[in-house]
Amino acid sequence: MSRDDSDVNRRTYLKYVGGTAATVGLAGCSDSGGDGSDGEDGDDGSDGEDGDDGSDGGDGEELPEPETREEHLQRANLRLNERAPWVYLNRQYSVYGIASRLDWTARRDERIEAQAISVTEGEPSVTITQSSMDSGLDPHDHRETPTDNIVVQAHDGVLGRNADGDIIDALATDYERLEEGRVRFEIRDGVTFHNGDELQPSDIAYSVNRVVDSEVGIESPQSDQLAGVTGAEVVDGGVEVTSDGVNPIVFSLFASYCKVVQQDWIEARETSEINSDMNGTGPFQVVEYEQDVQIVYEPYADYWGDAPEIEELTIRAASESSTRVSQLLAGETDLIVNVPPQEVSRVRGEDTTEVTAVPSTRVVFNAMRYDVEPFSSPEFRQAMNYAIDLDSIIDNVLQGFADPTGQPTLEGFVGYNGEVGPYPQDVEQAEQLVEDSGHADAEITLETPVGRYLRDVEIAQAVASQIDELSNVSCDVEQRDFASLAGEVTSGDIENMPHFYLLGWGNTTFDASQTIIPLLTSDGALSSYREDEEVDELMSESQNLPGEN
Amino acid sequence: MALGRFLLKRGIQGVLVVWGVVTAVFLLRFITPGDPVTFVAPLDAGAELRAQIAADLGLDQPLYVQYVDYIAGLLQGDMGYSYLRGTEASTIVFARVPATVELAVAATVVAIVIAIPLGVISATRRREPADYGATLFSLVGISTPNFWLGIMLILVLSVQFDLFPTSRRPIGLFETLAFLVTVENGIAAPMNVDAFLDGLWTWLWHIALPAVTLGTYFTALVTRLTRSGMIEELGQPYVRAARAKGLPESLIQYKHALQNTLIPIVTVLGLQLGTLIGGAVITEAVFAWPGLGTLVINAINVRDWPLIQGSLIVIGTGFVLINIFVDALYAYLNPRVVH
Repeated sequence: MSRDDSDVNRRTYLKYVGGTAATVGLAGCSDSGGDGSDGEDGDDGSDGEDGDDGSDGGDGEELPEPETREEHLQRANLRLNERAPWVYLNRQYSVYGIASRLDWTARRDERIEAQAISVTEGEPSVTITQSSMDSGLDPHDHRETPTDNIVVQAHDGVLGRNADGDIIDALATDYERLEEGRVRFEIRDGVTFHNGDELQPSDIAYSVNRVVDSEVGIESPQSDQLAGVTGAEVVDGGVEVTSDGVNPIVFSLFASYCKVVQQDWIEARETSEINSDMNGTGPFQVVEYEQDVQIVYEPYADYWGDAPEIEELTIRAASESSTRVSQLLAGETDLIVNVPPQEVSRVRGEDTTEVTAVPSTRVVFNAMRYDVEPFSSPEFRQAMNYAIDLDSIIDNVLQGFADPTGQPTLEGFVGYNGEVGPYPQDVEQAEQLVEDSGHADAEITLETPVGRYLRDVEIAQAVASQIDELSNVSCDVEQRDFASLAGEVTSGDIENMPHFYLLGWGNTTFDASQTIIPLLTSDGALSSYREDEEVDELMSESQNLPGEN
Repeated sequence: MALGRFLLKRGIQGVLVVWGVVTAVFLLRFITPGDPVTFVAPLDAGAELRAQIAADLGLDQPLYVQYVDYIAGLLQGDMGYSYLRGTEASTIVFARVPATVELAVAATVVAIVIAIPLGVISATRRREPADYGATLFSLVGISTPNFWLGIMLILVLSVQFDLFPTSRRPIGLFETLAFLVTVENGIAAPMNVDAFLDGLWTWLWHIALPAVTLGTYFTALVTRLTRSGMIEELGQPYVRAARAKGLPESLIQYKHALQNTLIPIVTVLGLQLGTLIGGAVITEAVFAWPGLGTLVINAINVRDWPLIQGSLIVIGTGFVLINIFVDALYAYLNPRVVH
């Protein structure tokens, strides 16, 4: 491939990935975050280095050139820690309340796969209460976690993930990279849909095309979840998927996205019918569906995998967290999502219920626009990080249900840099850096959505008050309607973005690129930080190197 | 005849008000921040796709064309298509109406059943313990926020004493009544009384706490109105005349004084019922009651305009219809207003 082609592909790919994570992140955070038991503590912060605005290149000691894809991503994370385009805040936890009679391990990707639930006592029926119901049952026509949780009970993907986020086989039993831009999946035999028809490789190809190609059925809002994938076809009994460029995370994408549907079943139905019934290959089949009220499933007898232990599964919704907790305590439901910190003691205080928490795939941060004063100064941005007592925010605002962060990538993700920790609070250094930046006495406003992420306003108020305590900066908070804030952030024009804003970002691909590219590179769809050639270069190179996934 | 003209006039006014509501709701979309296309299009959508979605939504047309199309659609029962849910907005909105109406009516019934006797007792036993009790109840009822009361009722009566379910609406009243009037192949099927009674009990059991929560403020308000109205009426010369005539006190209180007191109460009841239909958002959220209030909030959060507009129009129209009904009732109770 010529350098020019490579660059074109990079740009195309970055654009795709930019969109992917944009929707992954923003849609994924719709369920207002989790929380949970204590998180591990972070290392001490690495110091932010200084440097003139706009310049790049390594400072201090010379680091060896990164070779592998992961090393590129780790280097990008180091660079982003040093240049501090965000005030790094916390990794959210997903916190669930669960009846003691159930045995279940929470997943990091916020999905609840009921097949993994065991009933140790009482009736083998389980009720799950989420914060909202689905926005329709079409597996390819939604973006949000509550709908995902309803769809995944009945639909399998080509690949899947275990509770730790590792990729596992699902409808594909083997997969390999054939060449740049082409991968192949071998399809499992003997799998049937709930209507009894056998799964064909063509169904998988159709499912992929239905997501990525608007001419196949619908304008899927998930098209950007399969970043860079251009299509799929059946070849010699397997399915070959083509991508624009290397697409190093293609298997990771298929492990998280693209549920498989039956082509004939879909094509024979109107949109409204597809949105009110499911015919998948998953462990549960739909028995009853009342839109906005509940969905009831029973195990699918001919499921290809291990049979579920549950004999009846019901999913309902209650938007108020206190209502969900009350339902759990009254024994009306068995598993609830998003238990807020203040309700944890109620759940733990009962013998019949308990709390289970897991670090989620969502990071919360304050983005600072690189192109406006005072945030155009790296020193000023670093100062904002030094001003924050992150541990105090996690302890007092989030009651321990979060982990501190110091880079955009979360621990456990491909590309996470273990050498980089959160910034420590150092008020003197922060004030000095503000002086050095030439923006002493700056007045800034932190814009935050209200109720979108767990304790978003309280976090923003704590951050603003700690910044305000610096002798040479004053900071206040402006509360915003999420839809209007998100509209500005996703408009594609940096001029429309707020200068300083709080956002949460979910990334269920477990890969650094899906956070850094959309949010922190020049081509990122939601990027507040551009023109850092080192980061752009590192990310570009990383996307042209084969990854493990 | 005069009553008919009166109602016709009210009906025409109602149509004009609904038209105004529809126009305001239509324009709301254009003065609210946030581009509807942003919420429908994938984020990597190019200008072409965005333009296509805008065209699908009719946003590429001049405003007056969009307005005329919208009115024409509404007249045919078409509220638009919810792209976010892949369904006609009218299907979703009308599916939510029964839950909201049931809750509003149940709250009103709670208010009437409790408030009017309480107000009468309070007025007829002034400065006695019953009066103080009723006054205190009114004060507390008016001052208590809905969400707090709802959560407290759940905590105490559901979680602690297990007397009521915490939330949900497993069956609707109309579904319950259907057990009595099932028609199969054009022939009325036998009434399933047991199923009806089971359904009715389940419905009552689930709606009790939401209705009390929503109706408490209303109950307190009507109690105060009844009390003050009754006190005023009981001081009127015609009451003294009735007493002088030797009429029984209960007849004076309930037939004469209360009937006159009811006129302002009916007006307030009507207005409040309309408010309840649109304003049950918090109660619906606390009790996971699938009504219009929660639908509107969720739709606003994602800027699902067809749903927002459809819900607001239904709520506005409901309010107008209730007021016309109240006007008719008012005219019946007090024929002087017709003239």
